[in-house]
Amino acid sequence: MKVKFFATYRQIANCKDFEIEAPADVLGLLKVLCRRWPEFSNKIVAPDGESLGADAIVLVNGRHIQHLDGVRTSLANGDTVTLLPLVAGG
Amino acid sequence: MAVGNAWIGTVLRVDLTTGTWGTEPLRMKDANDFVGARGLGTKYFCDECDPNVEPLSVENKLIYMTGPLTGTAATSAGRFEVVAKAPLTGTIGAANSGGHFGPELKFAGYDGIIFEGGADHPVYLYINDDRIELRDATHLWGKDVHKTTDMLIEECGNVRVSCIGPTGERGCLFSAIMNEKNRAAGRGGLGAVMGVKNLKAVVVRGTGPVKVARPEGFLRELTKARAIIQAHPVTGTGMAAYGTQILMNILNEVGALPLCNGRGGSIFDHADEISGEKLSETYLVKNQGCFGCSIACGRVTRIPDDSPYAGFGEGPEYEAGWSFGADCQVDDLAAVCKANFICNEYGMDPITLGATIACAMELSEMGAIPESDIGFPLRFGDSDAVVRLTKMCAEGEGFGKLLELGSYRMAEHYGHAELSMSVKKQEMPAYDARAIQGIALEYATSNRGGCHVRGYMIAPEVLGLPIKTDPLVTEGKGSLLKTFQDLTALCDSVGICLFTTFGMGLPEIAGQYREAVGSDESDEDILLKGERIWNLEKRFNMAAGVEKDTLPPRLLREALPSGPAKGKVAELQTMLADYYEVRGWTSEGEPTDEKLEQLSLG
Repeated sequence: MKVKFFATYRQIANCKDFEIEAPADVLGLLKVLCRRWPEFSNKIVAPDGESLGADAIVLVNGRHIQHLDGVRTSLANGDTVTLLPLVAGG
Repeated sequence: MAVGNAWIGTVLRVDLTTGTWGTEPLRMKDANDFVGARGLGTKYFCDECDPNVEPLSVENKLIYMTGPLTGTAATSAGRFEVVAKAPLTGTIGAANSGGHFGPELKFAGYDGIIFEGGADHPVYLYINDDRIELRDATHLWGKDVHKTTDMLIEECGNVRVSCIGPTGERGCLFSAIMNEKNRAAGRGGLGAVMGVKNLKAVVVRGTGPVKVARPEGFLRELTKARAIIQAHPVTGTGMAAYGTQILMNILNEVGALPLCNGRGGSIFDHADEISGEKLSETYLVKNQGCFGCSIACGRVTRIPDDSPYAGFGEGPEYEAGWSFGADCQVDDLAAVCKANFICNEYGMDPITLGATIACAMELSEMGAIPESDIGFPLRFGDSDAVVRLTKMCAEGEGFGKLLELGSYRMAEHYGHAELSMSVKKQEMPAYDARAIQGIALEYATSNRGGCHVRGYMIAPEVLGLPIKTDPLVTEGKGSLLKTFQDLTALCDSVGICLFTTFGMGLPEIAGQYREAVGSDESDEDILLKGERIWNLEKRFNMAAGVEKDTLPPRLLREALPSGPAKGKVAELQTMLADYYEVRGWTSEGEPTDEKLEQLSLG
């Protein structure tokens, strides 16, 4: 599966995207990312270690995980996960 | 002399036909009921101007109006509104701008200016505190916005300049009124109203104070509001780092980037090439803020001299990045920047122009516009053509004369008005209404035609601000949109920047407003003023015979072919019924007598 980063998360990962074997769900992926890039730790996972960080946006195949199964949204190879911090414009 | 309730208490009225002017007391009851800026300017306009006035006639009035918070220390309080009947849409035209002009007008001793009639030769209004002159502007006529601004500063010294470019002089239906070169009262073609009056510019220098009613309470409220703004990830750091262009990639990811005039699906493979991230890596010189703003989202950009699109200026904002970029299938960021620079220099709305070029591209590809009319082959993806057409429109040359009518009239000329991606003849901006249902409702019901900033549903539907709602569902969108529209009317009218609402909400706006004007009204009472303003605008549009609320047929019938919103159309009728009910209007979308009575508009 593909993981894409935007805004400041791209700077943390120092890449636009990368391929990874799909973990079971979004939470699993977030933990993988935190291990790989520790700077993500206090951003994409909440202090309880079991929910999404308050200022993070995660999309699975373009859908916000809040409209799927949250961090328990299951993942499969072929999926695209997008991560970015809270942004706005207009 | 400041009256001490955040208002100066004085309106300047200028009769351009006779070349005379005078001051009059601000109508304080109206200021209380309609807040200021957008609301108060619209109230004055509705009271003084026939709804059926021809927009491009000297009988159309032009009103500059500040808000009570404009020029105070409130959060991002640099905003003012320009109001007239809009040439592009025939609706009430109210366009909001930032920078420093609005505060300077209050410092000079005026809450607003009402322009009546038209001069028999080009003039500009010079204001230096209580010294007022109508000066000859023949030497400025034909000059672009940047040159005009430089010449007026050379002539007048340390002044703020609001002016039009050649497009406004010529009557381009989406010409903007620009201040401090790159800030725009951009939508609806108000620059052309200024042009038809032979009014080239307003120049102001002010040295007086703006006094608030309860200084200690005001300081307390603005300190609270500022802390929220500065601590919030979007308004504290995010917008300064990337500007509004940061939206390009996320809108692409959620499948809501309108492409090829709405014909081409919603995923642009090259979105990253024209994104906020890319702009920061390449052409960004620095970020910049308006008066009293800590958000500082503005982009100062430079395209190197060795580029065919060399230039220096501001922007692009996300909307221009989309219109000249994704909508035209252009992935050359330098070309997008160049087209945006030209818009600023000549005073044009880049949303309407970019969308009009995209419409022309579709018509050209389907053979509806002969190549001989344009002068060269026109297809999607041609960055040179986008810049060339932008310049042709700016100078009123060749096919540019059709472009300056906007997409509806241009497409109608070629027998395909249905392919104009506009509402009430104003082009919709950078969010596909099929992929974000609430923005579909906003586009259809906006009182100034296709517009995103009358009720920015992208905040809850895509960004999760302040709550996350599903963009693909229709339930609850009527109620949510009403709240957003009323709050936005309030925000625009107090004189602060809408972007503050990404971090703060009604309590902070109402708190600062109360202490500034000396009011003890509740938050709900203050929000009700936003609803009153919305209904006032709606009532004007009805009297002006503006068409009913709908969307282009493409958005209602042609489902998105791919992406996360694949198969979706804009489900407008369901949402409209809900929205009208929540607004207390008839099923035809007209305010009832009871609603108008409740809002003291009867």
